[in-house]
Amino acid sequence: MRNLWRVFGVLALLTAFSLGAWAEKLVVIAPWSGAEADPFVAVLEAFKEKTGIDYEYRVMRSEDLGKVLPAQFAVGMTPGDVLFTAWGWWVKEFADHMVDLSAEVADVPFGFLTPISVEGKVVGIPYAVWVKPGFWYRKSFFEAHDLRAPSSWEDFMALLARIKAIPGVEDAAASGDEVGWPLSDTVEHFILAYGGVNMFLGLTEGTIKWESPEVRAIFTEHIVPYLEYASEPIEWTAAKDLWWEGKYGIYFMGNWITGMVDDPADLGVFALPGAKAVTGGTDYIFVPKYSKQVEAAKKLVAFLMSKEGQEIRAKGGGKLAIRTDVSPDAYPPAERALIKALQGFVIVPDMDDTIGGEWQAAFWDQLKLLWVKPEALDDVLRVLDEKFPQG
Amino acid sequence: MRSSPRAEARSGKEGKPRRGLPLLFVRIRRGEGLAAFGFLSLGLILIALFVIYPSVRTLWLSLFDKDGFAGISNFVELFRDREIVDFGRFLRREPPWGALLHNLVWIAVHLPFTVGLGLVLAVAFSKVKAWWVGLARGAIYLGIVTPLIVGGVIIRFLFEKHAGLVPQILGALGAGTPWSAGWTAYPETALLALIIGSIWLWTGFSMVLHSAGLSTIDRELYEAAQIDGASEWAQFRHITLPLLRPVTLVVAAMTFLWELKIFDIVYVATMGGPGGASNVLALEMYFSAFRELDPYRASAIATLITLFSLPVGYWFAKRRLGR
Repeated sequence: MRNLWRVFGVLALLTAFSLGAWAEKLVVIAPWSGAEADPFVAVLEAFKEKTGIDYEYRVMRSEDLGKVLPAQFAVGMTPGDVLFTAWGWWVKEFADHMVDLSAEVADVPFGFLTPISVEGKVVGIPYAVWVKPGFWYRKSFFEAHDLRAPSSWEDFMALLARIKAIPGVEDAAASGDEVGWPLSDTVEHFILAYGGVNMFLGLTEGTIKWESPEVRAIFTEHIVPYLEYASEPIEWTAAKDLWWEGKYGIYFMGNWITGMVDDPADLGVFALPGAKAVTGGTDYIFVPKYSKQVEAAKKLVAFLMSKEGQEIRAKGGGKLAIRTDVSPDAYPPAERALIKALQGFVIVPDMDDTIGGEWQAAFWDQLKLLWVKPEALDDVLRVLDEKFPQG
Repeated sequence: MRSSPRAEARSGKEGKPRRGLPLLFVRIRRGEGLAAFGFLSLGLILIALFVIYPSVRTLWLSLFDKDGFAGISNFVELFRDREIVDFGRFLRREPPWGALLHNLVWIAVHLPFTVGLGLVLAVAFSKVKAWWVGLARGAIYLGIVTPLIVGGVIIRFLFEKHAGLVPQILGALGAGTPWSAGWTAYPETALLALIIGSIWLWTGFSMVLHSAGLSTIDRELYEAAQIDGASEWAQFRHITLPLLRPVTLVVAAMTFLWELKIFDIVYVATMGGPGGASNVLALEMYFSAFRELDPYRASAIATLITLFSLPVGYWFAKRRLGR
């Protein structure tokens, strides 16, 4: 019996110790895992070294947080102290549950993406920037087949036809799919290239209808012809591998692809001929007011947004710094080349991440349909108008 | 042989039935009732907290919209919504047909296949005495212990154009698009891919229950039938099938309820797409609750799912109580 009490005693001590250790750690939840998370973890390590505040990093995507947090918030709880989500619209919806982070970003020089403010409170802060500059290709593949980046729409279509004719190539362009979002990026790029920034913003704000003749024309004159050379939607990381192996010639993707390929130096990218703008986006930082370590969380947010923190992140590649005062020299060569390529382009916030909600899911899903059934175009456009948030 | 108090009461041996506490479907003595409530109290409290209260609250919410009390208008809207029911497209056999019809198609295809296949496999394995039978049983049963999220990922890749076994085989046999392409990418095949995948995931359940049922059948019945010259088919039809009927009904009921609330594999494999072609009620409920942030519509869909499952649940509960 005495032994049993001893075992209970040891267990109680261990539990108390582990609970204590857990309570002291700042829980950071973000969507990146594996190699994609390494540059961010490097920033967390630098913060720990500087402040002595330990952290625990957990991976959760926006979709997962979107399911978990409403119930947690309803009972005054949070699974983490500093959280990240790509859904700016969601942060706005739940602004009542967030800590005001105005002081942490008071002196941050932001670019095209600015903090989310609700009733004078800063509730979401854009962190690292990704852009979707256009179609990526392997320089070695283009050189081997004497291909070059197009300078006009006709050139682009001719390029697609030439790639498709190469033996061993299944389709000219790979279409990555992850519940539909890479397809939405491609469509947004076409709209920016052939409809312009005003049409893009009009569609984002709901002042222009998807069924309007000018929007429909972009689909019938550009997107549907492109689909003849594009693969069916394939899981996006598998599509990346197939494209890298040479089954496809070009691949539309965000700049994080530089961190996902074996040889980033072999990467080339071109925007659609005529494009003067590309989309970009970010993951928003927020601190739930139910965090038991709000002050430590604020310290981490301040460090993440500091020039020092942003430069450590930039050095890791895959994303661009949100601060405009971070020098291009802080980046690896692939990002430096990208920054150079983006000179002269306007960067606008990603459309579906801005609108969000049910419409975003519908947008992704309808484009998956369009990709395999271009004849369903009218149904697709109708649904996009019907699903657009009212008011 | 002693008869039960209830049988005695029914047969009138004790005059008129004893007065007592009504407990659901059963009338029991007052002392026994208190003891029963004592034993059941913890379970009842938990059920009240975690089942009854949320159910009632969901039903209550389904009668409201953001402007206040809405009566049954949420339900009326659901049946008008093409994402829930689209008979026009269903009759033209052009997916999507709406989440509710997708659930019904799922039941119509998945239910007979899993119940039938599980029964056939259970009978077949009971006839074969070989070293690999246990292995094969285990392999089939793996589907049921595989987390549905993992199952969804496997289904996605099983029917994927490059990595998928099914399109590769069909392609080699000369089938065209979409059969030789990614099934989950095409509206004509997405729902079918999920249903076939779910047959693999659920057949193990049916097989194990039928195997357990088979082990309870008296072998003497088969020996007698064999002496009478009955064929294998006749033995199966006149002994196995009728005696397994209670098990088959339970399997069918459980399968029906599983199909009605199917969510995980759809969420992972297709997210209801493309163009809503594989959407189901539970996923539509999720979209309403966590994407549209509309708890009222989500509650109405949840209530609808409950209403569809109630008759089967009621029958099942009655059966468990021996009525």
